[in-house]
Amino acid sequence: MPEEFLLSDDLLRQLMSVGEVDLLVGLPSHNNAKTIGCTVETIEETFQHGFPRERVVIVNVDGGSKDGTSEVVMNATLPKHPSSRGLTSLRTEHRIVTRYAAAPSPGIAFRTLLAAADLLRAKACAVISPETSNITTQWVGSLLQPVYRQNFDFVAPLYCRPKYDGLLARNLLYPMSRATFGRRIREIHSTELGFSGRLATHCLNQDVWNTEAVQVAPETWMAITAICADFPCCQAFLGPKEPVAGSSGTDIVTAVRQTVGTLFWCLESQERVWMERVGSEPVPTFGPDRELSSQKVRVNRKRIFDLFRSGVAELSPLLKSILAADTDAEIQRVATLDERNFHFDEVLWTRTLCDFAAAYHHSRLNRDHLLQALVPLYRGRIYSFLLEHQDSSPDEIEADSEKLCVEFERQKPYLIERWNAKT
Amino acid sequence: MRETILLGLEQAYENLVHMIADFLPRLAVMVVIILTGLLVAFLLKYLLRFILHLTRFDRISEEAGASHVLRKADLPPMTELLSRSLFWMTFLGFTLLGISVLGIPELQEQISRLFQLFPEIFVAMLVLFVGVLASNFLSRAALLAAVNAGYRSPRLWSGSVRFVVWILAISMALEQIGLARETVIAAFSIFLGAVMLALAIAFGLGGRDLAKQTLERYIGDKGKEKEKEVEPSPL
Repeated sequence: MPEEFLLSDDLLRQLMSVGEVDLLVGLPSHNNAKTIGCTVETIEETFQHGFPRERVVIVNVDGGSKDGTSEVVMNATLPKHPSSRGLTSLRTEHRIVTRYAAAPSPGIAFRTLLAAADLLRAKACAVISPETSNITTQWVGSLLQPVYRQNFDFVAPLYCRPKYDGLLARNLLYPMSRATFGRRIREIHSTELGFSGRLATHCLNQDVWNTEAVQVAPETWMAITAICADFPCCQAFLGPKEPVAGSSGTDIVTAVRQTVGTLFWCLESQERVWMERVGSEPVPTFGPDRELSSQKVRVNRKRIFDLFRSGVAELSPLLKSILAADTDAEIQRVATLDERNFHFDEVLWTRTLCDFAAAYHHSRLNRDHLLQALVPLYRGRIYSFLLEHQDSSPDEIEADSEKLCVEFERQKPYLIERWNAKT
Repeated sequence: MRETILLGLEQAYENLVHMIADFLPRLAVMVVIILTGLLVAFLLKYLLRFILHLTRFDRISEEAGASHVLRKADLPPMTELLSRSLFWMTFLGFTLLGISVLGIPELQEQISRLFQLFPEIFVAMLVLFVGVLASNFLSRAALLAAVNAGYRSPRLWSGSVRFVVWILAISMALEQIGLARETVIAAFSIFLGAVMLALAIAFGLGGRDLAKQTLERYIGDKGKEKEKEVEPSPL
């Protein structure tokens, strides 16, 4: 490990008592007592049915829960299946619980999991979020199997989503990461993923752990690191993802700051890799490579449009310093369009993002402020998307997404030109 | 009588020669000090410029928004401004030192006063500079937060933040120089109190509906229901 990172004595003792393992499932948690017991049971059920002979461990890394999350992890028991005749497994199924801080930090939690995987010489690992309420044994198996049995090093999840969900991934993260890094991984940012011990060790040895981008979205960074270092990657379809009832989810500003910030930071740190890549390649996918449900989501479109319009008006001096003159002029023109005839097309959206990425690289503005200035424009694009796809079928939405991805790939020379431009 | 006049003239001439003989070396020393000062000031200016270029100070200043303010005020970039300031401060320091060598008592007194104020003036300028940076950064943060949260009049929020930070920086700078300390503190307290009272009255009386809406939005269930249907999940 490049810089000092100390695991607690208690964690080291627990890891030593486990020895070596084949499979490791990590559970980063913070006040998840209500759901984590069920998650642990599902994971153990997966171990019993899918991996009966393997040495396994569940590692819970807790960020200062006050609701007894760790106790629930240790005390969760697998209910006996009616068909089982008492003995289900001869091995010990280990559970490790560690607490890293008084407040949650995705970076520290993830790093602790990687360190545990490295020390236990785990062959395949998966990270599962206890925030998801409908985890099944198929989920855990789908994330571990490709690594353990098919020698993949990174497994990205694929979910079945309502058509208006995951719009940041659909409109920004996927097309931009695909065009730059050259691999078609749809969920570049996800709280569930699978990876090999080899990739865990590789990531652990990178001298990046103190950077904010890696601290806030380590999963995104790992996905991009795997792509850039040419580790074999694949996708596994998990099914619908349902958040825990009552959870507020991530708001747009936080989501943009975390995920887009990490993507832009990776563009900078992996500059030499993506500049040389041309086009994009699909990655092997287990199960369907997309699924949109027609489930209705209540959306206040008018408010989104108003926020876009007022944002463009109020931030116009800032946007002028970030965007190229013609892109800025076009955005100002689009902001004057009528609500019903509004259209924020893919060419303008792509050029906007290229300008923002270049401005981030040239530090034309405080980077956090720059990411926040992107939010109103993202809202404009989302409003246009919602307007256009009110009655669209999943296939039509998919065709539109593909068009956007192709446009991003077409505009890559523009990104490189802006990126290399002297300020 | 003629002899007395001649003696007087001779005395005056001798005095003049003596004064010139006394003054000329001092003048020469003053010129040497000023010329040395010029040389040192030039050296320091180029050294500072080099160091600031090396540490990419302009980029930091651009990020913090200070360069934007300088451009607006038609001033040179931050690196240039700082190196020029150092030049003039050094040159001025040496010039004053040179003048003090002349030995004119009234001038010496004024110069020593000015010298005593020098560190305070420098610190006050530094405080103002940090104030400019902080006010730009914080006002932009307030503007972005207000725009993204959909608040009304985001520029008013941003302007208020900028104004408060400016007032704070100016009062700190004035206090540093020691200029009418009590007056500055009293004026600042009265001003801040008046602004807060005005805001409270404006929000309580003029903006009753807005106050109600805001409270409902944060406390009431209505607000929560509304928030839920605002935007689709980004991730």
